[in-house]
Amino acid sequence: MRMKRAITWWVGGLLLLAWALAQPSPNTPPPDFSPEVFRIAGQLRCPVCQGESAAESNAGIAVEMRRIIAEQLAQGKSEAEIRAFFVERYGDWILYEPPARGLTLWVWLSPLLGLGLLGFGLWRYLARVRARALTAASEVSEEEMARLEAELQSPERQP
Amino acid sequence: MLRFWPIWVLLLGGLFYWGLQRPDKSELKSVLVGKPAPSFSLPLLAPYRAQYGAEMGIREGLGKPVLLNIWASWCIPCRSEAPLLERFHQQYKDQVLILGVNVQDSEAEALKFVQEYGLTFPSVYDARGRIGIEYGYYGVPETFVIDRHGVVLARHAGELSEAQLRGYIEQVLR
Repeated sequence: MRMKRAITWWVGGLLLLAWALAQPSPNTPPPDFSPEVFRIAGQLRCPVCQGESAAESNAGIAVEMRRIIAEQLAQGKSEAEIRAFFVERYGDWILYEPPARGLTLWVWLSPLLGLGLLGFGLWRYLARVRARALTAASEVSEEEMARLEAELQSPERQP
Repeated sequence: MLRFWPIWVLLLGGLFYWGLQRPDKSELKSVLVGKPAPSFSLPLLAPYRAQYGAEMGIREGLGKPVLLNIWASWCIPCRSEAPLLERFHQQYKDQVLILGVNVQDSEAEALKFVQEYGLTFPSVYDARGRIGIEYGYYGVPETFVIDRHGVVLARHAGELSEAQLRGYIEQVLR
């Protein structure tokens, strides 16, 4: 009886999970343009929005941008050409992934630089700790060493 | 490393100071400055058709400096800017063309706005917002200052103050 109930719960849970996974994700493009349009629009900022891409926004200008992308795709333009069209009007600002040159190069390099610095600092620190451990060992006097050796001898062996 | 802490403090402080002195980060330099203004032609709002024809826009042979003002009726700063633009239009209409571009709006609302402020400078209606994209605009109001050769001299994002507007007009008339 208990077994049966457990199975019911499991099946119910799995069904619920399957149902949740089957929900369309909220960002799926509306059916008016091809997914290609939304893929390219997703790389472009919506100029009048805050932190929304031209694919996500429903602002008039974002809709128009998607229309321009669809038109240019229909004219046989490449993705790079379409991106260039918007960069010509807005500058690199319109791209969510600005090209790695000039000041933006630093944005790409700084994490590497930071990692390098961190590694260097860690290496310096560990080297210092190791050196301190070694000097500490060599600073122990002969006399003290002898005493320690003696103390480490098992008591049975002592006279 | 930590021995040099005053240097670190100075460096970090310098960075913060530099960051604070930078111009408004939301203000975007237009890539159009120094380049020819994109030409276009759009239908005028009804009240201006009698005087200016069916369509108007930026094209060669205007022979006049232009202040291209992008606006919308729902935009609050546009409301305080409209009377100012009207006043300057009255004063300089023979020397400078003030041309409004209504974007992200309905034509009926735009007409109401024009009537409310008694705007006599012409405005075109950009239903799809394509001219906004051509000019790389990112909000209303936005004003493009175009000299008599059709070259963009400046882009002003946000509301114009009287002094700023006067400055731009003096700049194009020079």
